[in-house]
Amino acid sequence: MKNKLPLYLLASFLVLLVLAGVSLHMGVYRFEESSVLKITGSFLRGDTSVPATDAYIIGKVRLPRVVMAILIGSILAVSGTCLQGIFKNPLATPDLIGVTSGATLMAAITIVLGESVRSVIPEALHYSLVSIGAFTGALGAISLVYAISSGSGKTNVVIMLLAGVAISSLGFALVGFMTYLAKDEQLRDLTFWSLGSLGAATWTKNGILAVVIAGTYSYLITKGKALNAMMLGEKDAEHLGIRVERIKRLTVLLTALMVGTAVAFSGSIGFVGLIIPYILRLLFSSNYTVILPLSAVWGAILLLAADTVSRTLVAPSELPIGILTALLGAPVFIAILIRYKKSM
Amino acid sequence: MVKGHKISYSHKSYSILKGVDVSVEYGDMLVIVGPNGAGKSTLLNILANELSQNKEDIYFKLKRFKEWNVLDLSKNKAKFSQHYNGDIPLPVRDVVLMGRYPYFGSIPQSSDLSAVEEVMKEVGIWELREREYNSLSGGEKQRVHLARVMTQLKNEVAHKLVLLDEPLNNLDVKHQYQVLELMAAFAKKGNTVITVLHDLNLAARFATRVLMMKNGSVLAQGAPGEVLTPETISEAYGFPCSIWTHPVRQHPVILFGN
Repeated sequence: MKNKLPLYLLASFLVLLVLAGVSLHMGVYRFEESSVLKITGSFLRGDTSVPATDAYIIGKVRLPRVVMAILIGSILAVSGTCLQGIFKNPLATPDLIGVTSGATLMAAITIVLGESVRSVIPEALHYSLVSIGAFTGALGAISLVYAISSGSGKTNVVIMLLAGVAISSLGFALVGFMTYLAKDEQLRDLTFWSLGSLGAATWTKNGILAVVIAGTYSYLITKGKALNAMMLGEKDAEHLGIRVERIKRLTVLLTALMVGTAVAFSGSIGFVGLIIPYILRLLFSSNYTVILPLSAVWGAILLLAADTVSRTLVAPSELPIGILTALLGAPVFIAILIRYKKSM
Repeated sequence: MVKGHKISYSHKSYSILKGVDVSVEYGDMLVIVGPNGAGKSTLLNILANELSQNKEDIYFKLKRFKEWNVLDLSKNKAKFSQHYNGDIPLPVRDVVLMGRYPYFGSIPQSSDLSAVEEVMKEVGIWELREREYNSLSGGEKQRVHLARVMTQLKNEVAHKLVLLDEPLNNLDVKHQYQVLELMAAFAKKGNTVITVLHDLNLAARFATRVLMMKNGSVLAQGAPGEVLTPETISEAYGFPCSIWTHPVRQHPVILFGN
């Protein structure tokens, strides 16, 4: 019964590191310098001896994109795992219960209607306006779904999923309406949001994502014990010294912040929060003390792999990444449903 | 140890508990008995700090529950509930390890693992440690939770409290006795056990004190021999019985029916 978590984490980080190296190397542009590691190394050191184009591709194009895939993937998987813990169900993921839709909806509204607000608010806020919108949308959606599907410590799964369907339909309708209202340049933004893409990665966005991750993970990653104990029932978790109400509220708030930020920067990339916890559950049973930290790394691995494939498969064009994650996610969704039916 | 004065509780306009006085001392094993719907579980839940609607204060070790540090409290008091979520997709040892959650941060220490092993062997479920909790029978699940609750109180604290809500459901006769013997031994060490039981004969055999409830009030309270009389039992259950004395152990034996 030795604790192998540090070992698993280390191995997972190694996989991620290797994958990142491969991903940096893959792409339409061929580097003059043979080793991509050398270029990355000198970019990070601020060395100017490498060819300028190489340095540009790494520093401004591939590296920010790889980093963003890692950060967004991690966020999506962790938010999925946390929601599953709070709702006590493996189908509670940001996409299926409408949190992503809520965020997309509010992001769309801010993009189109934000124009009029933009002139009266300070410049610094322009950039984060969409993020704030997405966060509000995500928070509203989670709170609504939780309020109507959960009572006396139990979740009604049917209501939870149908609430997600309802919010998604509302989001779909309103995003459609926004598309109708939108001007040309806004339209491009909107399409980007509904399909999801990591193409717009920049260091500023990565910086914000990193801050969000540092803030939320420092609280959430260690809550595996609490999520495990809640499987007993909330009253019984309290007998184990766990402040259930407080943890639930903070988790909902932080998950909304994570999903909101991810949607604002990369649009709605679905299913990462479903696939990763599902695979980890198969390997490690539902022990949140293990799957919560591991999902942070494996979400990153999944999205980075998907993004690398999406930009190399039909190069020089790009496959929308949402298509790839949905291709992987839909079978997982069905597998969970079949399991669920068996247990009924 | 635990003192509650005039405990009342109502759900909507229906009053479940009407001014119950309870006081339990160190070393006591208090068994709460009574017919269905008498308010036994509600009383236990209030004593366990699960329901806080009542205005009266419960004193646990001379302090109100809200004056306790949450973690300290969980090392002093544990509760076994009547209904557990049926679906806990974890191996048995991880479920029992939950009892150690108040003691470690992220990674269980060797002292936690040895506490888990010791209690699992005591309760007789060490062989089940690698099994999936969901694949166990009802009685085995009960014993897993019992082990988890006792693991939670495996520490150096003097005078601990364990509350059990019908811990014998689904258990065969051997395990019923095993559980109650474990509890009696726990109480003997200066701890306190409060449990709801349905079997009056087991109450007579193991309790140091019995509290008989009916319609949200206390019908009788005291030593088993004082409470378990034909008059009180008939009044509580509306069913005739006769009382005999156990030939060896001298505690009351109840025979039901005419």
